[in-house]
Amino acid sequence: MKPLHTRRHLLSLALLLPLSLPALAQSAADKPLRAVASFSILGDLVRQVGGEHVAVDVLVGPGADAHVFQPTPAQARQVAQAQVLFSNGLGFEGWMSRLLKTAGYKGKQVVVSQGIAPLKEAGHGGHSHGHSHGHSHGGVDPHAWQNPRHVITYVDNIAKGLCGADAPRCEAYRRNAAAYTVQLQALDAEIANAWVAIPAVQRKVITSHDAFGYYAKAYNVKFLAAQGMSTDSEASAKGVGQLVRQIKKDNIKALFVESISDPRLIEQIGRETGVKPAGELFSDSLSDANGAAATYLAMMRANTAALTKAIKGQ
Amino acid sequence: MTALSGLFQAVAGPFIEFDFMRRALLGCLLLSISAAPVGVFLMLRRMSLTGDAMAHAILPGAAIGYLAAGLSLTAMTIGGVIAGLGVAMGSGLVARHTVLREDTSLAAFYLLSLALGVLIVSVRGNSVDLLHVLFGTVLALDDAALSLLAGIAVTTLVAGALLFRPLVLECLDPGFLRRVSALSPLAHYGFLGLLVINLVAGFHALGTLMAVGIMVLPAATARFWVRSLTALLMLASALALLASASGLLISYHADWPTSPTIVLCLGVAYIVSMLLAPFGLRAQQRSSSHLQA
Amino acid sequence: MSESFASTLSSTPFAGGGIALHSVTVTYQRHPALHHLSGCFEPGSMTAVVGPNGAGKTTLLRALAGDLLLQSGRIDGLAGQRMAWLPQHSEIDRSFPISVREMVMHGLWHQLGAWGWRRAAHRAACDQALAAVGLTGMEQRPIDTLSGGQMQRALFARLILEDAAVILLDEPFAAVDEPTSADLLRLIAQWQREGKTVIAVLHDLRLVREHFPQTLLLARKAVAWGPTAQVLTEANWLRAKHMREPFDEHAPLCEHTEPNARTASQTAPAHSVKRALA
Repeated sequence: MKPLHTRRHLLSLALLLPLSLPALAQSAADKPLRAVASFSILGDLVRQVGGEHVAVDVLVGPGADAHVFQPTPAQARQVAQAQVLFSNGLGFEGWMSRLLKTAGYKGKQVVVSQGIAPLKEAGHGGHSHGHSHGHSHGGVDPHAWQNPRHVITYVDNIAKGLCGADAPRCEAYRRNAAAYTVQLQALDAEIANAWVAIPAVQRKVITSHDAFGYYAKAYNVKFLAAQGMSTDSEASAKGVGQLVRQIKKDNIKALFVESISDPRLIEQIGRETGVKPAGELFSDSLSDANGAAATYLAMMRANTAALTKAIKGQ
Repeated sequence: MTALSGLFQAVAGPFIEFDFMRRALLGCLLLSISAAPVGVFLMLRRMSLTGDAMAHAILPGAAIGYLAAGLSLTAMTIGGVIAGLGVAMGSGLVARHTVLREDTSLAAFYLLSLALGVLIVSVRGNSVDLLHVLFGTVLALDDAALSLLAGIAVTTLVAGALLFRPLVLECLDPGFLRRVSALSPLAHYGFLGLLVINLVAGFHALGTLMAVGIMVLPAATARFWVRSLTALLMLASALALLASASGLLISYHADWPTSPTIVLCLGVAYIVSMLLAPFGLRAQQRSSSHLQA
Repeated sequence: MSESFASTLSSTPFAGGGIALHSVTVTYQRHPALHHLSGCFEPGSMTAVVGPNGAGKTTLLRALAGDLLLQSGRIDGLAGQRMAWLPQHSEIDRSFPISVREMVMHGLWHQLGAWGWRRAAHRAACDQALAAVGLTGMEQRPIDTLSGGQMQRALFARLILEDAAVILLDEPFAAVDEPTSADLLRLIAQWQREGKTVIAVLHDLRLVREHFPQTLLLARKAVAWGPTAQVLTEANWLRAKHMREPFDEHAPLCEHTEPNARTASQTAPAHSVKRALA
């Protein structure tokens, strides 16, 4: 009798042991990786790849303006304590180098736009930036995330970065990245599909922010703007006049107001051409958790829906 | 004939074709009537730098308006006016009743106000540039902005007419005014009030640069040409309107940003007047002949 | 002389028309600039106020004008009286773009106020005043073209228009030439003939002797107050110089009280309180 019980106990113990090993291993490496992302969109992407293994702090939160961002001491501390830092690059974060120096950050830095062929900065001819806040994009358009195919590269770079900082969990990161990439490819197809119904000649949009160059190229949509890329450059009377003429001539129906920049100029153009502002597009940042663009995928879907709806005249 | 019609097309064309150009011109007209005369008195009271100081002083008011009602321009404008009036009145009180003069007391108040504003904005953690959002652009004057400007213009003209004599005496001989009339504080604080509403209205509709520029530069320019107060007031308004119309047109044809171009026109008028006008630098030169008596 | 004067005053009921000071004390940071000054300016009198530097002469004028709060004592006879005051250093902004006539017209504030319509009669009165001071022909000139003497004349013209019952002048001839001061003295004599009370702070004793029937020799208190010949004596001047010391940092509290004088809590007639706070 007794030997049978003992053998059963031993067997269950033997079976339990391998199951407990991962648990043991996890408790050792249980603490999530500390990561900092420069702005909200990037923060979402890092979370998608990192999953529960990564604690992400975002510097420029939802609704905030990365062009005029001023870091607080608390954020400098977050950076100092981070193990890996993700930034967009392409001149988007003019304040980053100073922040890194202040925080004395010596950890890993990942520029997620590496490997992407950037577009030149758009802008109508002869137009100059107004009083700048010490940031220039260096003639390059940084908003590469507006093309989901570029975001696949972003995600790949993020996974590589996380693996570099946290090798034990690299498997998980690669898996997450792969899964998310599938979603991104589906998103790309979805958007292309949404535009199929609209003939190319009608794909014209007015917005107050020159941030959709990559989207424009990817899906063959023309974005016309009255102002340059940064939110503080001044409008020129000639530029606005040309825009009004063009809207009237080409019968453009889609007019969008940015969540960040001055809506009044857009409204004036809309008044003069008879086109009503058609809601908002998300360019540089996600909305808050309750908004229509709480994640990157949601943001792209919301933008596309808004654009197509406006052009179709609904 | 074609040259003339070409000129007409260049000057009047943009205003005929575009609604936003007409609105911009109307806004400039209203602001010229209203802010330029205030600027004349500002200059006579040696307070010309007040405008820039006041731009910073209104920040906590705008910040509180933003906290209360989000990115509502009405709330932020009202908050800005309250903060501006608070700073103007506070510094005025200090200047009248202590050893400090107007410039120092204003500097102290506006610095305090600015620091408070920056603190409020930072504590809330949102880096949206409040000042930029608050300050509009002359190319985007909607009905609300035009009504605001019209209201301010009417208020300024009426209040200015009523306060004219006390205000003149307040500038000329404040001790005398204090003795003959109880209106002295009304003249003093009333003027500060007019200053603030003109600045805040100007910021709201036209942006920082233009609002202060159109107040200070025409007054300085007019001073080179005329010597009587009434002439100063009228010439300043006329110069303001002329320069802003020119600035609008030049900005249109040269594709330059509008607000700075208007202020540059005002500045060019100032420099040209300083060089050529009878009471500018020419007053220093020796004339070739003199009268018998 | 002053003590007996004060004691007679305190027992006699005050007769209307003049300005009576009862133990007036005005302090700057608790040091007395005027120290228990008592006396009377008769109605229609022309009094020169003289004394060494720092004697409190300007302070006296300012107290009479209601510009300063009295620390103790009171001044009777000012209520309801319009007073005109010419300060020693005019606060006038000479660079202000205004014509002589416009500036002088302010003297008619008591008739026109802030919004009164200016009629031809007012303009005529203004031109008359300018003629009286010898500035005819200068009406349209901006004030920054006036010399010192001309500015003083213009301010006198403004005084004429103020038509005040009491006129306070602080060193009116300090920076003007002989002909100007002669003209202005004629004007002052004219005022006295019209029954105005004139009180003038002066440094030129020759002028005082020639033109002012009454004199107050002041050294924080009244050293001598009365007909000029009796006041301006060597002995009185010596006494004045002795009585006027610089403020003493270690001076004890003053315990002096006049008979019938009110306590400090009842100081400052209503009009001077209101004016000082404006």
